[in-house]
Amino acid sequence: MKIVVCIKQVPGTHEVRIDPETKRLVREGVEAIMNPFDTYALEQGVLLREAHGGEVIALSMGPKKAEETLREAIACGADQAILLNSRAFAGSDTWATSYALSMAIKKIGDVDLVICGKQAIDGDTAQVGPGIAAHLDLPQATNASAMGEVTDTTANVTRMHEDGYDICEVDLPAVVTVVKDINSPRIPSLKGRMAARKAVITVWNEEDISADPKLLGLDGSPTRVVETNPPPARHSNTMVIEGEPQECAKKLVHELRIRTLV
Amino acid sequence: MQHHIANKIYHVEVLPPKQNSEKLDEDLERFDMKYRMVLDAGYCVCITDNSMGHLAFQGTELIEELDLPVDSDQIMIHLNTFHSKEDFDGILTTCIDRGVQHLLVVSGDGNERLPRLEPEEIGYPEVTVVTSVELLKYIEREYPGKFNLGVAFNPYEPEQHEFEKLQRKVDAGAKYIITQPLIGRNEIVDKMKGRFKLPVVVEAWMSKKLHLLSECVGYEIDENIEYDPIAALQNLHEIYPDCGVYLALLGYKTQFPLLKDIWV
Repeated sequence: MKIVVCIKQVPGTHEVRIDPETKRLVREGVEAIMNPFDTYALEQGVLLREAHGGEVIALSMGPKKAEETLREAIACGADQAILLNSRAFAGSDTWATSYALSMAIKKIGDVDLVICGKQAIDGDTAQVGPGIAAHLDLPQATNASAMGEVTDTTANVTRMHEDGYDICEVDLPAVVTVVKDINSPRIPSLKGRMAARKAVITVWNEEDISADPKLLGLDGSPTRVVETNPPPARHSNTMVIEGEPQECAKKLVHELRIRTLV
Repeated sequence: MQHHIANKIYHVEVLPPKQNSEKLDEDLERFDMKYRMVLDAGYCVCITDNSMGHLAFQGTELIEELDLPVDSDQIMIHLNTFHSKEDFDGILTTCIDRGVQHLLVVSGDGNERLPRLEPEEIGYPEVTVVTSVELLKYIEREYPGKFNLGVAFNPYEPEQHEFEKLQRKVDAGAKYIITQPLIGRNEIVDKMKGRFKLPVVVEAWMSKKLHLLSECVGYEIDENIEYDPIAALQNLHEIYPDCGVYLALLGYKTQFPLLKDIWV
């Protein structure tokens, strides 16, 4: 199988700051990490390759610094990595980003499966995976919590919903976005880290992927961020249990029971 | 382990490079240097396992990748519950292949990126969570006679609870005990020594920053307190002449050269 795993480098912090002028994320001085959901996508790709053979290609779009994350992907088992890097990509929204990624996937060619994390933790849109499917006119299965039998032509996917899950069979090639329940991502080995440092990361620009410049960057982005606001503070509901230890323990068990936590 | 105590062999903790190291080459070089220093001095190298939940490379992979020499009696690998079954068995198999005998088996500190062994996969479905006790039983069952297993003892936990836990660990196959860092005499450790007739290794805190132990000991240690780690180590030897000593956060430039004149 030829599997492409889309990976995004994101700020490794929960305290995301927005530049009030540009309305973009402030990335300077913030540790960059692989988007946590993408680690599950990568692991799924590696597991499928281990089971069926083939190769896993990690694909990312971003600044040069994103090479670090692609090297991490190689350390975790990806066979090769491609970075889309050019000024033409800057300012792309999810539609333009998914267009660029889809053009890169076309250039890679003969791809059986594209796997993405369900969303990135910085933008939280969950639109890029489905966007790639739309641009490539491929079937998609989002929020996959498990993958069953995979053949040359189909994949069995369990999709998670708020109310439960459904099991579907999707024709390949397809795009699958995954949630955290799907596997336990491996920690890179030292051997993997050493190999990743020596790996050559392929860098493509808009010409390499034959992309229409008008569909990239700000020009190719139909959405604009006009205003950002922090989410409303969550109301904490803290209950203090007072009394003798035995009495407290009894009350605690009662409270846990009525919430069906024990 | 009694042999280590009789021969005044220090247990020296060597922290492996972290997974997110930005200077991996330097860190590997430093690890290599410390490892060989400890070995050459005739002490026992103790390699931690994702200590404090910080992701770091495994002792076994460092030994393999750096092709470090192994003297069966001079290396101790820490091993905790935060592994996949495959990795866990892989570590044990590498230990056997490389001749590592001494393991310090602990429950460990988790990290959201680390998997945790499930009771069912190591054959103990009756427990809700795998602890060092199940690890000991598993290792004894699957790799009988291959390892010399040690366990941790925390004198800062409620006494009865900790003694019960230690009893379970001893019943499961523990052959020696290593304490949490001690600052002078500790009555609970004294009691433990009287009750469990196993070799005991006391941990010496070799950082000048004693306040970093606040969380461990359960009370606030003043940040400005003056602490002389070498004097504290000498004191521990006087208090516990029949125990081994485990050195945490040892300074390799200034403290290491002094060791040879301390435990004589």
